[in-house]
Amino acid sequence: MTNGRTDLLQGTLELLILKTLSRDPMHGYGIAQRIHQSVDDVLKIEDGSLYPALYRMEERGWIESEWGTSENNRRAKFYKLTRAGRKQLQGQSANWDRISKAVTKILQTA
Amino acid sequence: MFEDLLRRLNGEHTRSEVEEELRFHLDLLTEEQQQRHASLAEAKAGARKQFGNFEQVRDECVAISRRNRPYLRALKIFFNLIFVGGVLVHVFSFDYHVTRVGGLLIFTAILSHLLLYMRQLSPGSVAKPQASTSLMLSEPADKHFVFYDQDRRTPVERVIFKE
Repeated sequence: MTNGRTDLLQGTLELLILKTLSRDPMHGYGIAQRIHQSVDDVLKIEDGSLYPALYRMEERGWIESEWGTSENNRRAKFYKLTRAGRKQLQGQSANWDRISKAVTKILQTA
Repeated sequence: MFEDLLRRLNGEHTRSEVEEELRFHLDLLTEEQQQRHASLAEAKAGARKQFGNFEQVRDECVAISRRNRPYLRALKIFFNLIFVGGVLVHVFSFDYHVTRVGGLLIFTAILSHLLLYMRQLSPGSVAKPQASTSLMLSEPADKHFVFYDQDRRTPVERVIFKE
């Protein structure tokens, strides 16, 4: 625990992105905004760090991208979940649930 | 069209597309900061801070875009061609043995697609996240919380080996 910050588990950002995209296709800025709103500033996410995660997820086939027009009439790249992505979201959500329950259980036994 | 093809082969297309995407994000962040009554210079600085290292993110995205994807796409097109060829042979052939070859081609194409799909699901198929993928708790829940105690034990070890 250095500089008042705590690294979270790897894959957490991917889970947040998958969950965010499970509702609607969005561009990177939209995804960042939605995540910032959802986590109420508890999690600190540099917006730029979303993009390597998005590109890796697209590489794995969890999401697909398509160029479109944004709400301010600019060309923007929109991402949407694939079927493999939905499956991944289910799996990762279940995993997260198991881990958090296990940690809570250990903490409650103290 | 030929120039576009050359640019794609050189990877310039990928780089300019990544830059366009990241620039869009940065511009919207700048607008957001300006709406909070910041000057343009302050807004740009705030946007940069919120975004993180632009060049590092761009280079990482370009590198990810360039690896595997053209090869994967080519493979998928190749498997699709095998599938279509198999169907055509299977439907239009009158010879039993040739029909079986068609069936074999269809089977091979489906199996290959399945293997590609499984590769995409496999977490080990892609390189681990780089340093730019950072996600942190903004503040510790307890500022006086000690991860390691004087015996270098973690909180879990302290609970398990409680004396």
